[in-house]
Amino acid sequence: MKKLEKSDCRFPSTLKEALELLANESTRGRLLAGGSDLMVQWAAGMEPPPRVISIKGLKELQGIKEDDGAVVIGAGVTHAHIRSSKPVQKHLPALAAAAATVGGPQIQALGTIGGNVANASPAGDLAPALLITGGEAVVASRTGERTIPLTKFFLAYRRIDLKPDEMIVRFVLPKRAAGEIEVFRKLGTRAAQAISKVMCAARFSVKAGSFETCAVALGSVGPTTVRLPKLEEWIIGKSASEETLAEVEKRASDEVSPIDDIRSTAEYRKWVSGRLVRFLLES
Amino acid sequence: MSNVKRTWNVNGEEKTLEFPPLRRLLDVIREDMRFTGCKEGCGEGECGACTVLLDGVPVTSCLVAAGQVPDGTQILTVEGLEKTEQGRVLQEAYVSAGASQCGFCIPGMLMASFALLSKNSRPTEEDILDAHGGNICRCTGYVKIIEAVRLAAQNWPRK
Repeated sequence: MKKLEKSDCRFPSTLKEALELLANESTRGRLLAGGSDLMVQWAAGMEPPPRVISIKGLKELQGIKEDDGAVVIGAGVTHAHIRSSKPVQKHLPALAAAAATVGGPQIQALGTIGGNVANASPAGDLAPALLITGGEAVVASRTGERTIPLTKFFLAYRRIDLKPDEMIVRFVLPKRAAGEIEVFRKLGTRAAQAISKVMCAARFSVKAGSFETCAVALGSVGPTTVRLPKLEEWIIGKSASEETLAEVEKRASDEVSPIDDIRSTAEYRKWVSGRLVRFLLES
Repeated sequence: MSNVKRTWNVNGEEKTLEFPPLRRLLDVIREDMRFTGCKEGCGEGECGACTVLLDGVPVTSCLVAAGQVPDGTQILTVEGLEKTEQGRVLQEAYVSAGASQCGFCIPGMLMASFALLSKNSRPTEEDILDAHGGNICRCTGYVKIIEAVRLAAQNWPRK
């Protein structure tokens, strides 16, 4: 921790000022928002960067807004704000549920949606609920903005499509359509303060007894959070029957390739992925 | 690295301090201000023993870079509880319920309880569990802590 006290930290008061600092190699630094991931990594002994730029409290990164088709969430919005936001609860209920499972209240008050995505842990709690919306991340640099579909944003383990002079500024998340259900479930050792073994979010609709739309995402089952495109394509038009659900369980399990780690085993994760997808699509 | 200067209201008193910007709020509270009621358990946001309230919101002070806490913030640590009627009601409820064993988690637990009851003085069981989900106790099994919060809610001074 004493090492961290040797790092420089800048406190830009506007987004423009922060982007200026990022644009210049001599002032560029690691972005620090709520600190709920980075402060832990630094406490655990990871070498702190020589320069840090605090973006906590930047007004341009705050706020949850709603337009006709989408909910727009600033990158600096906390998990506590997301879980209690009426538009999120109504139009993106899986995201509200996911935000409520992050750590405990203390962590939810600190951690931000932008930080959760930027750290790109495969166990990032918000990612599955973000991916099923088919939404976009908007990133900014001094020269302008760029929009990236969230399904293409997570490149590899702890890596996103972000250049050194860019930062995430907001997320544009299409609302669920009328008749679409959204569900989220996180499996871990206890309800609070646990990193997931597997988590799943789904957005789907059933019309006249058959699946009409379906998006499914799983976290903690690979280097990044994943959608299940093969399953999603297969299920459209299938009847919401026991037979289909049994096949869903098998196909979901086959479509993921998890690993063994400290929290769980590949074998369990593969099996429970199938169970979890089935459970959510039954609801 | 050059220090930053911040002026906060801590437990009802104005304090101005200088420190390295990324010094943990926990260290500023314990070492610079000597409010040692605030405990360091895990140092990584898991246990909640270092919980303090920033403008009424509970945070784990081990994960907060002190420079990120803006001027004018109201900081409440366990030492500030006895200064208010609500705080005293909460303390008495923990004592009456026998909610403390080794006691190390209790300063953090009290802050979580205080934050909950200040916003919602008629909590459901689910509200209580959710509000204390970020605080770990390895002695009590939580039963008496939950009892203490219920008792404090019953006696909570309402305007």
